[in-house]
Amino acid sequence: MDSEITIRMVDVAKAFGETKALKKCDFEARAGEVHAIVGENGSGKSTMAKMMSGVLHPDTGKVSILGERVLSPIDAKRIGLTTIFQEVLVAEEASVFDNLYVGRDGVFKSQTTGGDRRAEADEILTRLVGKPVDLDEVVGSLPLSVKQWIVIARAILRRPRVLILDESSAALDLDSTIRLHSEIDRLRSEGATVLIVTHRIAELVRIADRATILRDGITVGTLEKHEITEENLLSMMTPADRRSGDVAEYASRAKSAAPAILTARNLAVHRTAGKFDFDLPKGSIVGVAGLDGQGQDAFVRALAGIVQPFGGDVQVRSADTDRMVSLRTLDDAANLGVSYVSGDRKREGIFPQQSIFENLAIGVYRKNLGALGVIRKATLKPMFKREVDRLRIKIGSPSNKITSLSGGNQQKVLIGRAFANDPQVIVLNDPARGVDLGTKRDLYRELRLFTDKGGSVVYLSSEIEEFIGFADRVDVFFGGTLFRSLEGNEIAEEPILASMFGKSKHASVEFDLERTA
Amino acid sequence: MSSSGIRQVTQDRSLFVPAGLFLVLLLAVAFRGQGLFTNNGLAGAILVATPLILAALAITPIVMAGRGAVDLSVGPLMGFINVTLITWLVGNGITNPVAVIAWAVGLGAAFQFVQALVIIYVRVAPIIVTLSGFLVLSGVNLMVMSRPGGVAPDWMLSWGAGTSVFSPVLLLLVAAFAVWGVLRRTMFYRNLRMTGADERMAYTSGVPVDVVRIIAHVVGGAFAGLAALSYTALISSGDPTQGSTYTLQAVTALVLGGASLSGGRGGALGSTLGAINMFLISYLLSTFNFGTVSGFVTQMAFGLILVGSLLVNVFVTSRRAVA
Amino acid sequence: MVSTVMNTEVAMARSASPFRTHKSIAIGFALLACLLALGALLVPGFVSSQNARSILLLAAFLGLASVGQTLCALVGALDLSIPYIIGGANILLPSLMVAGLPAPVAMIVVLILGALVGAANGALSFRLQGQALIMSLGVGFAAVGAVQIYTSLGSQFGGTVFAPVPDWLRNLSAFNGKFFGLPFPPVIVIWAAVAIGLGWIMYNTWFGRSLYAVGGSRTAAARLGISEFRIWTVIHSASGAMSAITGMLLLGFSGGGFVGVGDPYLFTTVAAVVIGGTSLLGGAGGYGATVLGVLVLTVLTSLLVGLGLSFPAQQAVVGLLIVPMVAIYARSPHIRNQI
Repeated sequence: MDSEITIRMVDVAKAFGETKALKKCDFEARAGEVHAIVGENGSGKSTMAKMMSGVLHPDTGKVSILGERVLSPIDAKRIGLTTIFQEVLVAEEASVFDNLYVGRDGVFKSQTTGGDRRAEADEILTRLVGKPVDLDEVVGSLPLSVKQWIVIARAILRRPRVLILDESSAALDLDSTIRLHSEIDRLRSEGATVLIVTHRIAELVRIADRATILRDGITVGTLEKHEITEENLLSMMTPADRRSGDVAEYASRAKSAAPAILTARNLAVHRTAGKFDFDLPKGSIVGVAGLDGQGQDAFVRALAGIVQPFGGDVQVRSADTDRMVSLRTLDDAANLGVSYVSGDRKREGIFPQQSIFENLAIGVYRKNLGALGVIRKATLKPMFKREVDRLRIKIGSPSNKITSLSGGNQQKVLIGRAFANDPQVIVLNDPARGVDLGTKRDLYRELRLFTDKGGSVVYLSSEIEEFIGFADRVDVFFGGTLFRSLEGNEIAEEPILASMFGKSKHASVEFDLERTA
Repeated sequence: MSSSGIRQVTQDRSLFVPAGLFLVLLLAVAFRGQGLFTNNGLAGAILVATPLILAALAITPIVMAGRGAVDLSVGPLMGFINVTLITWLVGNGITNPVAVIAWAVGLGAAFQFVQALVIIYVRVAPIIVTLSGFLVLSGVNLMVMSRPGGVAPDWMLSWGAGTSVFSPVLLLLVAAFAVWGVLRRTMFYRNLRMTGADERMAYTSGVPVDVVRIIAHVVGGAFAGLAALSYTALISSGDPTQGSTYTLQAVTALVLGGASLSGGRGGALGSTLGAINMFLISYLLSTFNFGTVSGFVTQMAFGLILVGSLLVNVFVTSRRAVA
Repeated sequence: MVSTVMNTEVAMARSASPFRTHKSIAIGFALLACLLALGALLVPGFVSSQNARSILLLAAFLGLASVGQTLCALVGALDLSIPYIIGGANILLPSLMVAGLPAPVAMIVVLILGALVGAANGALSFRLQGQALIMSLGVGFAAVGAVQIYTSLGSQFGGTVFAPVPDWLRNLSAFNGKFFGLPFPPVIVIWAAVAIGLGWIMYNTWFGRSLYAVGGSRTAAARLGISEFRIWTVIHSASGAMSAITGMLLLGFSGGGFVGVGDPYLFTTVAAVVIGGTSLLGGAGGYGATVLGVLVLTVLTSLLVGLGLSFPAQQAVVGLLIVPMVAIYARSPHIRNQI
């Protein structure tokens, strides 16, 4: 292992205004290795990847790729470095073919629509997606997973000497992840350097030759293949003070006996998949899990009245009459006390130009309307203070813009918006996406307090670990329908994972992984 | 509009509406039995329609480059080229065709180059930059020439006669199409579309987005120069205010041609069809005699057709629902 | 558009401090003060009640015409039908009065028609989003064409309508109008009342907050049960109504109906909105900012007139001012920072 050094970062720092994204970063990667960059959200991983790609420039220190400085993506292209960014960047209006070959040639070179390119694109896409994709199809009409493959294929078609994957497997299911890994193997054997930027430990234990750990903008060390274990990684990723007393064990309470506050009968959230029933016992936390696109997302949205199910009926016990009332629209949800919190803060949560106060209070304006739609503001200030204290939101002034807060604190404001309505049920759709551990813990604590006082929670998460020691029951979706409910000691990584793949509770998914990989 | 043009129409759904409208209008014009399909009729039509077609072509690459870059300045820019050409060049005895054409094309390209630099480096929304361009040039035009007047160079006077289909005005149009045709065959065209469709994707994929934007503007500016030449030929003089009316007409033609003002979708063929359709609508309306109110009927009908074809466009091209 | 929305998000993230939040307002005031000082120094008679009255009168017309443009800009739309509705109202009112309708009734008819045209504009353009401005142009053409057909039928009026304008209407917006004996035209008071009322509505009603919510993030607004379609239609309708009012008040100013009276308002309303600091992309700004923009524009024009600049030169100067003004407070972040 004394092959050529392809990437070298020496004493690199980068700040965005007040925020120091990277404080001290030293890094080396070699040709022919898969090198993982690991760290919690916000530890500076993406900034590091962007700097190697020429998108960002370091404030201090030196970055050299294959012995050269990369000042722009055009430089990167020239020397053979390709990055797959976290966000799935495709031109929705353009064809698959155009999306695959974007930026490949100079500005005035005559166009190559040649057959060899099409054949090559066809071959690689078929290999990656598992079935042929029409190269003339408009990308906007394709599912997210295919878009993700297009982005990956775009990179592989360039035969990169250095490939950076920034959380690129997020939109892929397990089968696809295995195909991605075999592509990575192929590139490694051809002598390329592959960097995997991720916070998913399980993934990199399997595939990385070396791993560099980032913590709070500082590279804390590099592990060799034999040292890469979950324990080692975790201990290096998390500061010592936060490690102890991690998400405290929480006895899963059998509350199925409690009367249901929300029920769904003969619900269909997918056009063809089977119907199912669902009960949310009062005072409980029900987790919802599933691989990407298995119907769980449509399910929680249907519970909150955002989308209409294909069939069936959602009912909520009305606090006024104590009778079950149908919930079909957002207005029904508001009247029945069902609040929704999305993890996609940017798109369906925050109002970026508005103040922190406005972002929290806007959820309760409708409950405080006088004549002609005039908002009675007197009650709102105490409410705001109560929620900020309760959720321990760190704010400067309530009139500051919401975007002045960190992602975690923005999420807390949105949860405060949901709490402010004094709901009976809170439906959360992957709320912990991209928030730090501290915020997660505050969130779990508040949701538990909420259920202790008689509230009920539906909690969708894409990370299995979130359910353990937190949810009273986990409902796993597979193939567009409710596949299995897990309770008590079944709420553990293996049974949930197995159910997510539609297998029996005790089948070992790990085994399958080893075999196929 | 050769066979490749026809293939484009059948493939690109955004061209359905303009192409359909074009056929309907053509039939209607034929049915009205007026003299459009004679040598003189066609020659006159080309003369009148060319400035609009070229103006629509001039904003096409700029709109395609994205960022909501509707170029509002194109009309006053045509006016600016027109009045400076008449006042500064012809007024000083410079009537050499090469000098005049170079002045028109060069001035258009130069102005758009400056606008591109402001958009890229000052980083203000393009519509604001071009709004500013609109106001500045509208004012400057009147400062250069306070009222319509002057004469076009002698050699240009015959252009505006409108007696032959194969006039130099048609040549301007052909030249613009030829330039566009060449550009379409280069990677610039694809890079332009990708920049407009998603600039961040294009940037991270190594497309020199700033260079692409500058070229788009310069090409658009050169087309505006050609548009100004045909406009000067049409009126055979200088006019400081009429040019400005081309802004809204050109944007309308573009949208009628199925382009998206937010970038990525659109092309020369659509813009041309849109501009021709606009001409045909006014032509068709002019064949009816509404007496004293005819101007107003034309205006209302024009508005209604605009509304109608935009609505049809929505139903034909709407693929993406607002989630 | 999505990416441009993200631009503003990033831009906003940088402007967190309270001063920066109101930077455009502070700059607007500073600029206004500078212009007034320059005027006082350079132009004899600039500081006079005469000049103040004329500035405020012209500002009132522009301000009333800009109400709709501001509301539309707050949800990322542009209303290009404003000049046509102003022109249409300006000739429809006298022509209805000639036809025998009492002036107040005629005014209510015109107002309702303006609101209806606006509502139609909003309802039709909603699905078009980015292209909505062209729809508003089409609706404007159709409306002004229809009005002129009406005014021409059975008369020779067409685009210019002569009719006796009632004295009280004349008094409302004529230069020498009196407001309860005070020496300024009531239209200035109307404008002030509209500005205060609108500002209050925007901050204290569900409608106002919903408007900002839709402009800031349509999906997040939808999750709160806010109907984007309703907001969109209501603001376009308000824009139509305000344009009709402006057109009618301009009749009192000029004394005769002329369809082209609205033409200057096509881009000056946009300029006032932009100079005030309301983002054309939606979600940020407000009518208070537009009032400032209107005043800056009008005082600047008055100063340039005083300096002896011709109308074209004034226009050029205003155009040159826009880019630096906007650059001060609304630069997009570099694409590097948008990845």
